[in-house]
Amino acid sequence: MGSIHRGKKQYLYFILFVLPALFFVLLATDIPFVLNMVYSLFEWNGISKSATFVGLQNFAKVFHDKLFWKSFLFTMRYTVYYVVLVNILSLFVALQLWKNTFASKVGRTLYYVPHIISLTAISLVWQFILGPIFSGFYDITGMPFFHYSWLGRPKLTFIIILVMTIWQNIGFYMVNYIAGIITIPRELVEAAVIDGANSKQCFMKVMLPLMVPSLSICILLSMMFGLKLFDIIMVFTQGGPVNSTISVSFNIYKEAFSANHYGLATAKSLFFVAVVLCITGVLFQLRKKWEVEM
Amino acid sequence: MKKAILSKGIFAITIVLSLFWLMPLIFIFMNSFKGDAEIINHFLALPKEWTLQYYVATWNKFNFPLLLKNTIFYTVTTTVMVLLFAPMASYFIARSRHMLVCRISLLLMILPIMVPFQTYMISLTKFLGGFHLIGTRLGYISVTVGLLLPLAVYIIYNYINTIPMTLEESAYIDGANIFQCYFYIILPLLRPILTTVLVLDALSTWNDVITNQLIVGTKMSSMNIQNALYMFFSVQSTDWSHALPGTMMSIIPSLLFFLVMQKYIVTGITAGAVKG
Repeated sequence: MGSIHRGKKQYLYFILFVLPALFFVLLATDIPFVLNMVYSLFEWNGISKSATFVGLQNFAKVFHDKLFWKSFLFTMRYTVYYVVLVNILSLFVALQLWKNTFASKVGRTLYYVPHIISLTAISLVWQFILGPIFSGFYDITGMPFFHYSWLGRPKLTFIIILVMTIWQNIGFYMVNYIAGIITIPRELVEAAVIDGANSKQCFMKVMLPLMVPSLSICILLSMMFGLKLFDIIMVFTQGGPVNSTISVSFNIYKEAFSANHYGLATAKSLFFVAVVLCITGVLFQLRKKWEVEM
Repeated sequence: MKKAILSKGIFAITIVLSLFWLMPLIFIFMNSFKGDAEIINHFLALPKEWTLQYYVATWNKFNFPLLLKNTIFYTVTTTVMVLLFAPMASYFIARSRHMLVCRISLLLMILPIMVPFQTYMISLTKFLGGFHLIGTRLGYISVTVGLLLPLAVYIIYNYINTIPMTLEESAYIDGANIFQCYFYIILPLLRPILTTVLVLDALSTWNDVITNQLIVGTKMSSMNIQNALYMFFSVQSTDWSHALPGTMMSIIPSLLFFLVMQKYIVTGITAGAVKG
């Protein structure tokens, strides 16, 4: 199946059709990734012409890097909170807004809007809220809530990052869940209701199992988002306060561009890719197990 | 009876809460018409006068004409290139799976989806530096296209696999060549999925800050609007009377685009999710 272009000219057609796309992908992703593997075996500051071959020493260094493990822990902790909260909340919103009434449509649009705004804008918006707006509210109400140093204490900053990213992305997962809800055959739910299932049973025993495809996609995507967390750290907290919000990717970035340890940075990144691939691999296997044949 | 009221109440709360999702933007919008003193003293009130003077000041001070020109140029070029190359490659690969080069190409184009960009961007800058592409428009566009293509190819490839081959086979029997097959039969059928790719890629290029920061850096002449906002107003900014109009000007185009294309975003994500 899937082959009707046979004959002498097929390689010419390959060059015309596939090569342009392949060229850009190779340039931007595959070749740099291979180079990464090479760099990880060298001790190199990224500037000088000479690099010393050190074998696997960089990888050994990764395991003794305290800041790296701190960032690893932060990333894992963030990912767990983010995946759980964003999926529960967006599933809840999706269950409320999946019908095609005017109010739900408006609601859906509003929840989605933050997702189309750039990160710089988002980070400026939140700096403005935590700065002038909160201090303004403090002057009016005197509530200590508005006077916390939100970006100065590790725990509070963690919460702020969590709130910001959930605020930004809830609409995206909501749309995915709505897509899943729409595909559930109405007869199945109705049949369950006739058989005397209450709404909780209806949801847990009938709807949820049928929503496994969108559930697994959303969990996978949110997990990838959490593990990759970088942009918001770079534009918003820069890893502060006191290095408490350094994510793994941000740590790698700093190692390369601020500390100029190219070899170590690439070794870290390869280690991290391996972890990410393991986690997604496990998730894919679980997904196959959960999915109900329809 | 009680239950019906309860579920109506929960629905109403969900709708009301959605307004909170808009609230930060309303704050920004209202305060973008005020000077620094007015922002601090009357942050909740409507602006005293709806003057565009802060927009004009930001426009001139930070060279917005150039920034907008760059951003529009980037968005249009990368989107056009992706829409040109991705369906071609996906089509040929989907219909020539007997060729080893095609299977390898597919792998090389799809695997990058799984690998976080941040892990190889270090080598990417070194690699591009070798070709003197750092800080140039050409370098930025090439990288952006290369980063957008994997997902586009993946989505379109899956879509083409659902199209039966009988149409093309009968076209071949009637004497059509591969170009006619592609342009007259396949491309029209791909319109829905291409709209999705268009929306996703245009928004992501418009909103991109990391890639621009990485490739273009601080070079004013090829910066895009988001990168400029980041450079001028990053951490602990207090220059709100310039930052807020700047933020609004970067949001408004994507907001308008979103409102026009909204329908396609939802259907597109649906298609991706169900097939994925």
